[in-house]
Amino acid sequence: MAKTTLKKVHGYLAEFESAVDVYHASEQIRDAGFSRWDVHTPYPVHGLNEAMGVKRSILPWFVFFGGATGTTTAFSLAFITQVLIYPTIVQAKPTNIFTTPAFFPIMFELTILFSAFTTLFGCFALMGLPRWNHPLFASKQFKKFSDDTFIVCIEARDPKFHQAETKAFLEQVGGKNIELVEDEL
Amino acid sequence: MELSKVSKLNGIFLGVGALGLLISACYMFGLLGEQRQKEFAYSWLFAFFFFFTITNGGLFWTMLQHISNSGWSVAVRRFFENLAGNIRVMAVFALPLIFFSPFKNALWEWIVAHQDAAAAAGGDTLKGLEEASHTNHHLHILVAKFGYLNIPFWTLRAVLYFVFLGGMATLLRRWSIKQDGDGDFKHSFRARAFCAFPLLFYALAVTFSAVDWVMSMDYTWFSTMWGVYIFAGGAWSSMALSIIALSYVRSHGYLKKIVSMEHYHLMGKLLFAFTVFWAYIAFSQFFLIWYANITEETRFFILRNTNNWWYLSNILVWGHFVLTFVLLLSAGRKKKPDSIVWVCAWVLIMHFADIYWLIIPERAPSLSHGTVLWYDGAWWGDLAAFLGIGGIVGWAYLRRLATASLYPCRDPRLLESVKAVN
Repeated sequence: MAKTTLKKVHGYLAEFESAVDVYHASEQIRDAGFSRWDVHTPYPVHGLNEAMGVKRSILPWFVFFGGATGTTTAFSLAFITQVLIYPTIVQAKPTNIFTTPAFFPIMFELTILFSAFTTLFGCFALMGLPRWNHPLFASKQFKKFSDDTFIVCIEARDPKFHQAETKAFLEQVGGKNIELVEDEL
Repeated sequence: MELSKVSKLNGIFLGVGALGLLISACYMFGLLGEQRQKEFAYSWLFAFFFFFTITNGGLFWTMLQHISNSGWSVAVRRFFENLAGNIRVMAVFALPLIFFSPFKNALWEWIVAHQDAAAAAGGDTLKGLEEASHTNHHLHILVAKFGYLNIPFWTLRAVLYFVFLGGMATLLRRWSIKQDGDGDFKHSFRARAFCAFPLLFYALAVTFSAVDWVMSMDYTWFSTMWGVYIFAGGAWSSMALSIIALSYVRSHGYLKKIVSMEHYHLMGKLLFAFTVFWAYIAFSQFFLIWYANITEETRFFILRNTNNWWYLSNILVWGHFVLTFVLLLSAGRKKKPDSIVWVCAWVLIMHFADIYWLIIPERAPSLSHGTVLWYDGAWWGDLAAFLGIGGIVGWAYLRRLATASLYPCRDPRLLESVKAVN
């Protein structure tokens, strides 16, 4: 496909000088009802989740069912092979449902393994990873977030986004160097 | 804390404790017959050991908080310090077990064997045991274990456990309270340095007290998981008890601005961790014995899977671990004092079941030489001993809470603790 010179708006970037500033700005952005936006900080800021109004992730539910699948898989694997298909009799111990303790180690391990995989890949899926590039990487000032600057980005896909009003709003909450980031189509 | 604010509960504790001890004394001195006296020895060991493990747990958490220099826990540390202070009360309740012959003879068959051997060989116990082992082959194991399991060393160890545990609990609490007065940082540093090496001796004291008093009830049985199993249950239940005590004190208007829901969450997480740890250790102990299937080892679990004990074993699996695990998974529940208190009460009930399961199944088979598994009506003695020791220990704990500030008010890390976020 031929490249075009057309671009689409990704969103607005605004710089803040301190964690306090970005914290209070986040509270105002949250209260204004934005949903598609994020804060980029050089280090974790305690309480920022609450200030941003971030909801609890649904990842734990994935992990729960991932882990349960692991337990079931391990139990079936051991029970079907060791009891149903080929009963393994050791030291005259019976092979039936009451020998389940012998299967506990493998049930434990597979529960952990499946939970860990679900956590990792579920996390990737929810974050939209892996991907080749991100529109924000086009911005020169964005790089400073990993050094000494706190950056807020309100994305254009937010239903409340407005080219003029959102910019004014970011200025009003104290944002500096507000930049319109565009993405190549 | 004003003692008058808790005087009602404290009065109940004292009344129940006094009544329980009165009935216990009737059992103990044989007023209800020699058979009941022997049965009651097991009741007393059960009640003593239940509270002994919880008290040890209090000392463990105090020492752990010092050695790890933990900032978050300063606001709640005094609950553990005061709980550990009970060790001196427990020492008094241990006296009948260590020095009262009818109890010793009823509880520990090896003590009887040693006394018989000493009498037969004119005072030389080891020689007597060797001679007797030619006719009773079970006694070979007592000859082999003689270096560790003999009456003078056993008595000396019991004294050393209490000197060490009591000394640690007293010193750490004394320094902490001294800091309330002078605000000197050196108390914090001293406590930290002082806990490092003795933590090893703490582990040894907990392990070998459990070996000496509970495992040696059947001198032919052994388990290398024993000490850590007892420790896991003690640390677990002492955390639950401290959360209940904290909530009780807060309900009277104290610590409202010092302890936040973050502390509840952190303590709940430790409770959760030890739920899993106990299950891990308990299952490992069961699993190794079940798998190896060696006659000397399996007896412990066969007895506890026979008749009605099977139900109690299952209650431990599903109640001690599975239900508690599920209840403690939710972060929200751990942060809500009203709901976590009920989980903690459940934890204490399960610890009760655990210690009961460890000690009482030995009673009837030991006393009847294997002819019966259960004595009807002996549980009244269990109840009397439990209420007697529990009432007095609870009374002493509440009184101790009231003798000093409820939190280390001049600890250098107090602000860090109050602002703790996790």
